[in-house]
Amino acid sequence: MKSFKHFNARTVAEAVQILKAFEGHAVLNAGGTDLLGALKDRFLPTYPEAVINIKTISGIDYVEEDAEGLRIGAMATLASIARSTVIKERYSVLAEAAGAVATPQIRNVATLGGNLCQDVRCWYYRYPHHVGGRILCLRKGSGPCQAVTGDNRYHAIIEGKRCFAVCPSDTAIALAALDAHIRITGPAGARSVPILDFFKTLGNVLKPDEMVTEIQIPRPADGNRQRFIKLTLRKPIDFAVVSVASIMMVENGICRGARIALGAIAPTPIRATKAEQEIVGKPIDAQTAAAAADVAVAAAKPLSMNGYKAVQARALVQRAILA
Amino acid sequence: MSDEYRFIGKATPRGDALDIVTGRTKFVGDIKQYGMLYGKVLRSPHPHANIRSIDTAKAKRLRGVEAVLTHEDVPNWRGGVPAHLRVLDSKVRFVGDAVALIAARTEEIAAEARELIEVDYEVLPAVYDVVEAMKPDAPRLHAAFPGNVVPPGFPWFGPHTLQEVVIGDVEKGFEEADIVVEGACAYENFPNPLPPEPPGVIAAWEGADALTIWTASQGTFTDRTVLYYILGRKVNVRAHGVAVGGSYGSKNTAWLLIVQAAVLSLASGKPVKLCYTKEEQFAAFTLRLGSRIQARIGMKKDGTVTAISGDWLVNTGYYCAGTQGQVAVGCGEIQLVVRCPNWNLKPKVVCTNRAPSGIVRGYGGQELKCAFLPILTMALEKADLDPVEFFKNNYVKPGDGYYWRDGEWWVSNGVDYTKAIEEGAKAFGWKEKWKGWLKPTAVSGTKRIGVGVGVHGNADVGEDTSEAYVRLDPEGTATLYSSISEHGTGQRSSLCKMVAEVLQLPLERVSMTPPDSLANPYEFGTVGSRGTFAVGSAVIEATEDARRKLLELAAQKLDRPIEDLETADGVIYVRPTPEIRLPWKAVMGFDRTCLGHGRFEPNFTMPNFMMVFAEVEVDVETGQVALLRVGSATDVGQIIDPLNLENQLNGSLGSAGIDSAIFEETILDRATGRVMGGNMIDFKWRTFAELPPMQHVVLETPFPSHRFKAIGVGEITPSPGPAAVIMAISNAVGVRFYDYPITPDKILKALGKVQGRKARGGAA
Amino acid sequence: MKTLADIVNTVEVSTITLTVNGRQYELEIGGHPDEVDPAHTLAHTLRETLGLTGTKVGCDGGACGACTVLMDGKPILSCMMLTVEADGKSITTIEGLGDPLNGKLDPIQQAFVDNTAFQCGFCTPGIILTAKALLDENPSPTESEVKEALAGNHCRCISHYHVVEAVMAAARNRR
Repeated sequence: MKSFKHFNARTVAEAVQILKAFEGHAVLNAGGTDLLGALKDRFLPTYPEAVINIKTISGIDYVEEDAEGLRIGAMATLASIARSTVIKERYSVLAEAAGAVATPQIRNVATLGGNLCQDVRCWYYRYPHHVGGRILCLRKGSGPCQAVTGDNRYHAIIEGKRCFAVCPSDTAIALAALDAHIRITGPAGARSVPILDFFKTLGNVLKPDEMVTEIQIPRPADGNRQRFIKLTLRKPIDFAVVSVASIMMVENGICRGARIALGAIAPTPIRATKAEQEIVGKPIDAQTAAAAADVAVAAAKPLSMNGYKAVQARALVQRAILA
Repeated sequence: MSDEYRFIGKATPRGDALDIVTGRTKFVGDIKQYGMLYGKVLRSPHPHANIRSIDTAKAKRLRGVEAVLTHEDVPNWRGGVPAHLRVLDSKVRFVGDAVALIAARTEEIAAEARELIEVDYEVLPAVYDVVEAMKPDAPRLHAAFPGNVVPPGFPWFGPHTLQEVVIGDVEKGFEEADIVVEGACAYENFPNPLPPEPPGVIAAWEGADALTIWTASQGTFTDRTVLYYILGRKVNVRAHGVAVGGSYGSKNTAWLLIVQAAVLSLASGKPVKLCYTKEEQFAAFTLRLGSRIQARIGMKKDGTVTAISGDWLVNTGYYCAGTQGQVAVGCGEIQLVVRCPNWNLKPKVVCTNRAPSGIVRGYGGQELKCAFLPILTMALEKADLDPVEFFKNNYVKPGDGYYWRDGEWWVSNGVDYTKAIEEGAKAFGWKEKWKGWLKPTAVSGTKRIGVGVGVHGNADVGEDTSEAYVRLDPEGTATLYSSISEHGTGQRSSLCKMVAEVLQLPLERVSMTPPDSLANPYEFGTVGSRGTFAVGSAVIEATEDARRKLLELAAQKLDRPIEDLETADGVIYVRPTPEIRLPWKAVMGFDRTCLGHGRFEPNFTMPNFMMVFAEVEVDVETGQVALLRVGSATDVGQIIDPLNLENQLNGSLGSAGIDSAIFEETILDRATGRVMGGNMIDFKWRTFAELPPMQHVVLETPFPSHRFKAIGVGEITPSPGPAAVIMAISNAVGVRFYDYPITPDKILKALGKVQGRKARGGAA
Repeated sequence: MKTLADIVNTVEVSTITLTVNGRQYELEIGGHPDEVDPAHTLAHTLRETLGLTGTKVGCDGGACGACTVLMDGKPILSCMMLTVEADGKSITTIEGLGDPLNGKLDPIQQAFVDNTAFQCGFCTPGIILTAKALLDENPSPTESEVKEALAGNHCRCISHYHVVEAVMAAARNRR
């Protein structure tokens, strides 16, 4: 790797100060499992002047629950989330999603904040610079999207317009189903945004001098059932081809509420709101599930090679409802 | 397990086990030479282009840079078969082709220097498909190859190298047939053999005509010989073989990598280490050959094949390192599997603007069979024949003949594999699972289960030559001189076991020289399952020779006929009166050794055999495929080491084998010519978390090979798998497939659940 | 607001301390061969600066597990960890298992020898360390727990089956 200045931030304020001082030329390093790959492959046209270690900030890797819900420090590792008793009990969809990420070694250092902020996996975007030069595209400033005419088997089938790279984060899909908020701290103070508003087609809402500090999850109503299903060619390592996270309230076989989030089919996590509306108040059976699944993927406009993802997404919605 | 032997057939720890588990084993990346520089390669962004100009001035000025080379600087060394590829050329032929070479004091400096080189390209049209490449107006990659077709002939295999299978009269054969099928099938996913250790070498010139390399090669003498010709027939190359972190054929000889390092060392006057990154290994190192076949098969209702004709198109990528040899062996191997009097199978080797394809475990035969068997099974379906029964009737038997790679007619002198097939099928439960063509074994909800079978064999267990010395020392120890590399098969340990068995010496008293083309006699290398029979024969002969010399000395000392003498544990004794005994030292003194010599000449009379059974589960709603179970069957004559053998049999799941039927593929973007997802996350390989149960049936019917009556099988274990899996999937879902790998999108499309798509941009 | 200089003075370090296999190393930050550049990975420092080449670098991209070492007892990928960010940590590499003076092996190493739980051996150090972390935490794993724990360790020769047997045997022998 090409060299850079390195700082160990001791507080969030310090990290934000350094970010600000470098005016967009510094990056935060949490677990490092995504960032270091990016720096080694140099797929971005810019290279950071400084890397700021935020593992040295103490006290932001907590998992705390109260009557309102759950608060998770951005630096909580995926392994700790996957193992957390409280998360497994009441927010199991997140524990499952965190446990489905990458490999055990990665989960030991990768953080929830980092998993949300990781860069996309589009293989044009991530093409390694040292094997013939990086590929430029809109996400890097300007350039055509090669995926539209190229090999788009893993790209977006919904809402892809300017960029067809899909949101790679498994935990984001679970958090979308959990209606989580992301707490962001910058020089001017802190704010919270709903998870769905955190993501944008070309990235997220973080300004260059802001960082994610906390994930807030409202406590789901008692008696809900949660499900996370991720389709991949292999179980470990792979990023989702299609994923679904769901939280359902079912009383006497009748659906009283549902939140269903779909992953890896759009540039951001998306909620299948029409499918949710379709099932609320109805008995949970194969017919309801099939109707809802149809609605969930009705908006899909696949590219040349990824029509199968709509079929898979449909199947996952159905399974999540019936589970 | 045989009790006849003290070591052979017993599980014993590998000789290098302690080094491996303690991290002491040295791979290329772990070795440094004094003053060593680090090399880097600037690679082409275009699949096909002429280089108009290169400006290296800025790169050369960077502190710590000691050499920057372009096509204008390098000697006119040429590699490939026939010799056609310069180390650096004024033309680039695939994305990732070498444009310039850099040597610097650190890898980081070399990488920074690479950024400073400016190149002006004249971009040319590119071609990736074999049929497109042969069209008259197709871009031509090499001036010497009109139509991008590489001329046949492979000097290593002699003047009559097998170029095709043409036997009998196919027209007559088709007339005699009850069933004629015709079809096309492509095994063109170019899976990466993907050794864990990226390719690497250290090169150091020790004088004008002396080059020393430290190489992770399967054959130090192959490197030595190949480099001798490339470097103008005057350079004496000493190849030190170091531990090989996986090869699966791909590191048989990495001549281009070696020559890149060698030219940097020549220019800088210092040793140069050049190790490719994993991304370079994916984009610019050896992939499996592309294989496409259009074939016509005639068969009688009883399964007697009467005629086979077809065109076999082999995609070798941007250059040809000896693909003709793989075609020769593939043509030989297909005759072992199907008994047919009339053949007209015509191969063509074609260059395209893709990363290089070349030697990968299976060596042409796997590629041919994976494409051929799905067409053959169309005929079996029409005749309603069980494929296991068909293979049992067809697999080559003692007395059957075949044209082998040297173009000569050879007759099998091996064993009949009928029993192995029967026992393998029984262990797998084939009869219970097989429900007929395109019929699932079981259906449960959205899941369909199917079974399939594949077969492969190779007469190369006796290929090429080996020489060995065995030296006996007075202390009662033996040293084997052989340039065999260790790349995972345990071959070095198995050879030491053979020496120990012949001499009846404890294993720890037998050691072996490191692979080194200077210190050892000629050795072709650990390739093609030849270790047990070919190398073993030379080693056994050398051991027996040394033993005889020792006993001759003892006979004089003891005044006894040599026939009465035996040796065990470093002691010589007289058979009728074992109390009369002399330690080796008493016979040899302290200042003598006994040196034996052995040599093996090629012998293609003993084909080996591998059958793989696969059971898969397909989810027809998502298209997901799970490999549920794998069974295998073979006969090896005599097991040398059961654990090593089992490891090699399990290896069918790795190295671009079984999983190339379901998820392994090198994806090429045709718009840019680039490899997509050339990294360990995106390229799929089997993990610990998804291991199907495996069951191997291994028979031990003695072969007339050497005193241990054994032959090798390691190379071919992955080869039957892909065709078995494609059959299993077809049976599970009731649809045939002719295009590997069978990913969920293809299954959903075949089931009519997703609209057709354009020709897969990348896959072909 | 503080100036960058104020911040740099407080948070840019000039030396770090690593404990590797029980031995403490003080390393200077800098550009010389025996120093640590901020961009050096832990794998690079272990191999090139400290000469501990038992740790292998396979993909250098966080996927193959060949570079696995234990950091404060947990398996991590040393190719995806900056050395400067390992300051103060305790690292165990393959060289830290067993006792080189008397040749005694860790029970896991011995089980790998006994079961020939490797072929080419390139991935073996990483696999052994991952297995050690598992057994330290869970002395009696099931076979499927062993497989899950090793899901991030690439082996292309397919020595997986013997590895699982070896880890199960080591678990029995350690009890």
